[in-house]
Amino acid sequence: MNILSLITFLPLAGALLVLGLPRESKRAVQVVALLSSGLTLVLSAGLYFLFDRHTSGMQFVERVPWIPSIGVQYFLGVDGLSYPLVLLTALMSFVSLVASLNIVKRVKEYFFWFLILEVGMLGVFISLDLVLFYVFWEITLVPMYFLIGIWGGPKKEYAAIKFFLYTLTGSVFMLLGILAVYFKSDPHTFDLLVLLQAHPDWSARFQILIFLAFYLGFAVKVPAFPFHTWLPLAHVEAPTAVSVVLAAVLLKMGVYGIMRVSYGMLPLGFQWFLPFLVVIAVINIVYGALCAMAQTDMKKMVAYSSINHMGYCLLGIAGLTVTGFSGAMLQMVNHGLITGMLFILVGVIYDRAHTRDINAFGGLAAKVPFYAGLMSLACFASLGLPGLAGFVSELLCFLGAFARWKVYTAVSVIGILTTAAFFLRMIEKVFLGPLNPKWDKLTDLDAREVCALLPLVVLTILLGVYPKPALDLMNATVVHMASLFK
Amino acid sequence: MLQHVYLIPLIPLAASILILLGAKEDPRSPMPFLGIAATGWCLLQSIAIFYGAATGALSLPYGADWRWFSFGATAGGKPFLYDMPVGVLIDGSAAMMLVVVTLVSFLVQVYSLSYMRGDPRFKRYYAYLSFFTASMLGLVVSSNLLVTFSCWELVGFSSYMLIGFWFERPDPPYAAKKAFITTKLGDLGLYLALMLIFCQVGSFQIPQIREFVARGFMPAAAATAIGLGILCGAAGKSAQFPLFIWLPDAMEGPTPVSALIHAATMVAAGIYLVARCYFIFAISPVAMETVAWIGAITALLAATMAMVSYDIKRVLAFSTVSQLGFMMCALGSWGFSAGLFHLTTHAAFKALLFLCAGSVIHAVHTNDMRQMGNLDKKMPITFFATLAGTFAIAGIPGFSGFFSKDMILERVFEHDPRLFAILAFSACLTAFYMFRLVFMTFLGQERDMDRYLHAHESPWPMTVPLFVLMALAAFSGWLLDRGEFFTRLVHFEALPGQAAAHEAAHAPAYLTWYVTAAVFFAIYLAYRLYGGSNFREAESIKRRCAPVFNLLERRYYLDKFFLALVGLGDQAARLAFWIDSEVVDRFFVDGWGLLMLALARLCHLFDDNIIDRSIDGTGGLSVSLGGTLRWIVRRGLVQEYLLWSAAVMSVLTLLTLPAQRYCLGASVGLGLLAILTLLLVRRPR
Repeated sequence: MNILSLITFLPLAGALLVLGLPRESKRAVQVVALLSSGLTLVLSAGLYFLFDRHTSGMQFVERVPWIPSIGVQYFLGVDGLSYPLVLLTALMSFVSLVASLNIVKRVKEYFFWFLILEVGMLGVFISLDLVLFYVFWEITLVPMYFLIGIWGGPKKEYAAIKFFLYTLTGSVFMLLGILAVYFKSDPHTFDLLVLLQAHPDWSARFQILIFLAFYLGFAVKVPAFPFHTWLPLAHVEAPTAVSVVLAAVLLKMGVYGIMRVSYGMLPLGFQWFLPFLVVIAVINIVYGALCAMAQTDMKKMVAYSSINHMGYCLLGIAGLTVTGFSGAMLQMVNHGLITGMLFILVGVIYDRAHTRDINAFGGLAAKVPFYAGLMSLACFASLGLPGLAGFVSELLCFLGAFARWKVYTAVSVIGILTTAAFFLRMIEKVFLGPLNPKWDKLTDLDAREVCALLPLVVLTILLGVYPKPALDLMNATVVHMASLFK
Repeated sequence: MLQHVYLIPLIPLAASILILLGAKEDPRSPMPFLGIAATGWCLLQSIAIFYGAATGALSLPYGADWRWFSFGATAGGKPFLYDMPVGVLIDGSAAMMLVVVTLVSFLVQVYSLSYMRGDPRFKRYYAYLSFFTASMLGLVVSSNLLVTFSCWELVGFSSYMLIGFWFERPDPPYAAKKAFITTKLGDLGLYLALMLIFCQVGSFQIPQIREFVARGFMPAAAATAIGLGILCGAAGKSAQFPLFIWLPDAMEGPTPVSALIHAATMVAAGIYLVARCYFIFAISPVAMETVAWIGAITALLAATMAMVSYDIKRVLAFSTVSQLGFMMCALGSWGFSAGLFHLTTHAAFKALLFLCAGSVIHAVHTNDMRQMGNLDKKMPITFFATLAGTFAIAGIPGFSGFFSKDMILERVFEHDPRLFAILAFSACLTAFYMFRLVFMTFLGQERDMDRYLHAHESPWPMTVPLFVLMALAAFSGWLLDRGEFFTRLVHFEALPGQAAAHEAAHAPAYLTWYVTAAVFFAIYLAYRLYGGSNFREAESIKRRCAPVFNLLERRYYLDKFFLALVGLGDQAARLAFWIDSEVVDRFFVDGWGLLMLALARLCHLFDDNIIDRSIDGTGGLSVSLGGTLRWIVRRGLVQEYLLWSAAVMSVLTLLTLPAQRYCLGASVGLGLLAILTLLLVRRPR
């Protein structure tokens, strides 16, 4: 079996094993889940050493006919755009599983759905056939629905159904787009690599229409304004670990889709949409940050900050420069790490205090210094302090966009200031000042939480000081992608 | 020696990490000595470099670059991989800055041994100080403006951590946040300037940018925009008008921190950055003039505010702002060397003044000068040290500040007499408020007996740094000015085609003496008003000019203005969230859902009442038809059925077949026959 298939379906094997285990043996369920996800992580990390950084082509390709009558293939491969995301997915899934070890309700089902979710997410990033892509895309929906709907907060059912319907609406349009390009291509094909080659016979009008169809599907996932309102709700209601993968990986599927499918396949549509995209990006950045500033619920604040940060990705893409693309790709990884960290940390305090209201705390730094330190680190990483991961990618996004959109970029730096304002306000209200005596018994991080957080902390600092390893993975691909455009 | 200059920022960084992670918190932890040793090593290195540069043994500028990371960029429409270097660039001003930063940092760390002893986070304090030192040194040596900017942000971060060091108290966290956000506001301009630089030059390397400018590739408009952006950042960090509002509040931090960060080094970073990018300002007269005027306005406003404050540290903070304004104004008036000279001397005497203030506060446990007085005999060392610092800052001839301020005034006079007038007036105010401080704190009558009795001279780790700085405050100006030594070491290499004549001063010599005379008059005034044991005269003036005092005490309402801005931001945030939850989500998204639901109801209604009814209707029709039929033929005789079918068949045939006569005839006949038979058969048995 080829390595990419192995990576993708190891969690599935784990899920099936979990299904076969008795309901009572929680420990066994956890071990199996961690093992299968951990193996996936090890294998994906192993690819780091085999990955050829000098080619822009697909690597570790697997190609088997699947439904030959309509030309559907089982076609996998990774390049500099997808491999970092595969690695991110494997890492964040594993971290989330570690963070989920404190789940007590219906453990077996939880881990089963979580592993299925991992399969879907990995599959989206490695499939090179549009039908396969769509199948994996939809696979992620079902586990997510159950994970939010069963293990979520007070309004979990509403959040789950809203998430499901919202995303499904988007993906229906995407399916239309897929069918349209299938019938337009000659010979008919779902092969993404073939479709990515130039199509001089596709009229601008066709491309714009199809671009919009795909964009709807992707924009909901990003989430780009005005299709973002499912996100705060889903995040607030979802259990900690689900929020982590939701922010760290699922949002990236949208940006990945725009870069992989829309950009390469429909250049005329993309170009037509560019002025709108940059406006949407600026709205995401400024408006997302402002919305975050209005929050008193820490989790909702982090959720809105995600909207702001995904705006940086969109801005980088809208710049239509190599630099902007590099920035967007790096920002996806960095946002995954940093926001994952933030969600885990918010979960930590919620587990102990059963509230996430910023105004309910005060002076915790004296009581839980280690927790306060890590939270501050995550906040400062998120607000773009140099030396931590977020800074480099934000800078590249801005640099990339600045060449083309000077005024828009100048407007969007307001988002940086706002981000700093709300994160610092949170730090001040929660950790500093006199200790609120109500939280006198609060305990600092335990071993499980430290294990989940440590890799993220290390990577955030590492990529902030020395982003070369991550950028080197992407460079060849991004230069190739940029050369496609006139 | 220079080839290892990159270690200068790295060693304090390593020390900081070791201190932070290496040991448990312990009030008697030996970890601080690690930080002191690291900084001491850097100090020795810096002095060696400075000495080498001074004697000519080292040829400056020295630059070395290493590869950092590479990313995609575009040049001439072609994508390529840009290698972002990280490197060092040591020129005269950097060598000078290195000594200033390491020296003050070293002394402050020694001083803190005693000042911070017994603090529950003693170790962490040293970790932060080392981290600050590392970032500040990185800012000084970096050849890459992006790295400079990164370190610039990191010193802001250290400042945040150290202002808020005593975070259990209510005020420091707020002050820390205010400092961070205000400087961040300025940094946005700097950030955009960096982008514009990269957009124009395609590099962040200072030598390359300089080369680009020197060859005349940089359009003047771009240079102006970049210059104003850099000034924005510098105004935030160096507390220039109108962003100086954060510095007085930053005094909530421990006093040694104020001395190091908010007096001597970090706040000078803005000045240093403008000097580092001077070649950009050099081709933009607009940016240059703006620098000069912002500096002059800051110098004046801050000096006036210092005159009414009773908090010993706040007086010094306003004074710092004012002195930074002097430096900025000098830079804007083509006084490159003058500005940096004042930076150097100021670092020494202002650090000295802050450490003295710390010593006083350590002794009497209050910042309020109204509760001090008559401390000169209780704390003689501190008193003399303060006196030395005050002489230096007031510009008493012979002391260090005299030389640097004189240089600035000459330069500014030549550039624009209006600026000179502002600065000269500010210099008089400086003398006034500094002597007011000395009189209120050390002379006159004790005003609070408890505090007075408790007062004592500080232990040696606090007084030794005072001695060193005292010597520097007294003599460094004379030493550095001798034979134009400083100007030779630290000067701006004019761009080709630009007049190098800017540095030569032509101001008349009597100016110095006019200003000095005015300064002495200001000191006399301070003595008249504050020299006695009560300040009756000062109080009466205050009563008579209440609106003016009010304006000054409220800091020209700038705080109010920025608070209103913050409030506006909050309003905007609330509005945005309202739009998001009520309009976007409730109206559009949920509205869409409701619309679909309504549509579904409509479909259901239609389905139920029309489609389904019609189906049911058809069914019902057949049922009732069947019922009628059965009523007709209820006897169950097969023959009868046959006959019925024959009759129906004939009718159907009649209806469907072509209406020809024989057909008609045949079917009518068949039908009649069938009906006849039926009637016969149906007859009851």
